[in-house]
Amino acid sequence: MQNKTIIEPRASSLNHKLRELWQYRELLLMLAYRDFRVKYAQAFLGFAWALINPLINLVSLSFVFHRVANISTGDTPPILFTLIGLAGWTYFSEVFSTAGDSIIGAQQMVKKIYFPRLIIPLSKAITALIDLGIVLALLLLLLIYYRVSPGSNLLFFPLFLILAIMAGLTGGLWLSALTIRFRDFKYISPLFLRIGIFITPIAYPASAVPEAYLFWYFLNPLAGIIEGFRWSLTGTVPLPVYAFVGFALLIILFVGSLLYFSKVEEVIADVL
Amino acid sequence: MSNIAIKVEHLYKRYDLHKKGAGTLRDTLTNVWRNGFRSFSAQETFWALDDVSFEVPHGQVLGIIGRNGAGKSTLLKILSRITPPTKGRVELNGRVASLLEVGTGFHHELTGRENIFLNGAILGMSRSEIRRKFDEIVDFSGVERFLDSPVKHYSSGMYVRLAFAVAAHLEAEILLIDEVLAVGDVEFQRKCLGKMGELAKGGRTVLVVSHNIDLIKSLCREIALLQNGHLAEKGLTDHVIGQYTQMVQKTGKADHQFNLNSNKGIYIKHLKLLSSGRRMKREFFFGEPVCAEISIHSIDEEINGLSLAVGINSQLGQRILTSLSDQAGIQFGLKPGKTSRVNIQFKGLILHPGNYSLYISLRRGKLVVVDDLIIEDAFTVQEFSERADLKFEGHWGIIRIHPEWQIHKN
Repeated sequence: MQNKTIIEPRASSLNHKLRELWQYRELLLMLAYRDFRVKYAQAFLGFAWALINPLINLVSLSFVFHRVANISTGDTPPILFTLIGLAGWTYFSEVFSTAGDSIIGAQQMVKKIYFPRLIIPLSKAITALIDLGIVLALLLLLLIYYRVSPGSNLLFFPLFLILAIMAGLTGGLWLSALTIRFRDFKYISPLFLRIGIFITPIAYPASAVPEAYLFWYFLNPLAGIIEGFRWSLTGTVPLPVYAFVGFALLIILFVGSLLYFSKVEEVIADVL
Repeated sequence: MSNIAIKVEHLYKRYDLHKKGAGTLRDTLTNVWRNGFRSFSAQETFWALDDVSFEVPHGQVLGIIGRNGAGKSTLLKILSRITPPTKGRVELNGRVASLLEVGTGFHHELTGRENIFLNGAILGMSRSEIRRKFDEIVDFSGVERFLDSPVKHYSSGMYVRLAFAVAAHLEAEILLIDEVLAVGDVEFQRKCLGKMGELAKGGRTVLVVSHNIDLIKSLCREIALLQNGHLAEKGLTDHVIGQYTQMVQKTGKADHQFNLNSNKGIYIKHLKLLSSGRRMKREFFFGEPVCAEISIHSIDEEINGLSLAVGINSQLGQRILTSLSDQAGIQFGLKPGKTSRVNIQFKGLILHPGNYSLYISLRRGKLVVVDDLIIEDAFTVQEFSERADLKFEGHWGIIRIHPEWQIHKN
């Protein structure tokens, strides 16, 4: 018999779960597709919003930080500088805010059928890739417009991109697992994002942060990721050593999020 | 290769009644503050399943019956892996598909076509499998013309037909089904039943949980009866249904007390079923008046404009009739700490012998439901044997009337 299912009280191993996730990859893509379709289906401007949103963020951040507060962005034009920051931030904030209550949003499904629960927040992380892709396309246009040539640093860009996606996933998984346990996290996430937009070098350079705070500042993995984006795309200031502490922390948090989620996963149907 | 498709060994499931799994941070913090990190046990626990073991050989269609809360749904949820068991083990040999609902994951903004693929994926079908069966599914559902419009524009009948069509084309060796059939219009229900019978005869192992005794009878040769989380009986259909009917009659009460089950200040407290002579009973002969006394209690509210709605449901959960007290001019008010008793008498009921459930709702004004509840198998209608003309064999349905028959010979 090729198909044998054993049901027991204790949870299956993480390894087994990841293999199962692979078996369900088609469902993962279907759910991501559904979210994408639904997200823009009802809006009059439809898909254009995927472009309008980052543009508005770009203009308002740039205005406040560079026209009003007059923060120097070095050799990089302020608009380009801010867009690189946004590219690193957009994905994280999107996944963080959608994955959080994704399980509660899908409770109708969760109570009626089995599939690896990890698929629900993961599908949000995939849908958000589309928004990220749009920001990156915009970024490419600006790079060409300002005639910025990244040089050989560009080879490292994919690495930082992977870290950015990992950061989004980590945040999304922690938040969705914690929201199942404690509904309070629904209120914590917007707060978190509002603070995040200031303690991350989106529209200002990390070099503006006083030396004494740098260690703590870079514990936020996104700080290192965004500075890494800038370094690989415009070849300005190299990354401080502190950034790598943040990356190490991110990897620990990422593994932790998978473990915690698969622990909470077991009780989802009972507590919803 | 073993001949067993489903093997359930000593299955237990415990629910912690007061544990708010999805509590607030405050609850947890105060708990930790008071108890330290010791486990927060000492809550009331409830065993939804209590040492259940059985086996289903390949190709058998097994029906599962039992009253509300007997553990039927819990069993199905564990077999479908929606929730893990507390103790015990289940072995499923073969590809499993569970249908606890039709149309799981349907999204109203998506088109019929997209929903077929989405729902199929949720049920565990691969893309190529869905593509292969696509025409068959569309054909079965009969919504071909609307395939590319969003399902929010579908009528509820179309929606259900499409949803069932996807489910009916699942290729699985073991099917777990929960009353999903009571959907759609009569014609479509018949079509679904036909499909079910086909699936059952096609050598598949099927486990059906249902209230619908007729459905169970037509599909299964064997039935398992659950009672308070135990497996009370497993055997041939007619035998177990007989046991079930007896059990319902023996353990049924005519006197129901209800607890306040939320933070409402007013609730339905007490229901008594009575004969027309005001004697408590829950078994009525065919044609005998069924009376009920409903007590409503206010804890701390003063309220006016209350009324009651009482409905009778068949064993299939279908509403047979509903009566509103305010339409009969009965409206009342309550003062804190006071109780009102409302009497209702159903005269001239023509319900076919069997078990019936009562639905009671307490309303304020026209729209606000203050409290409502369903008493499953609240009363039984028995054959009335004294009048020979009222007793007849071979009756199917919910009501029994005596039409006049005539024949004209040419």
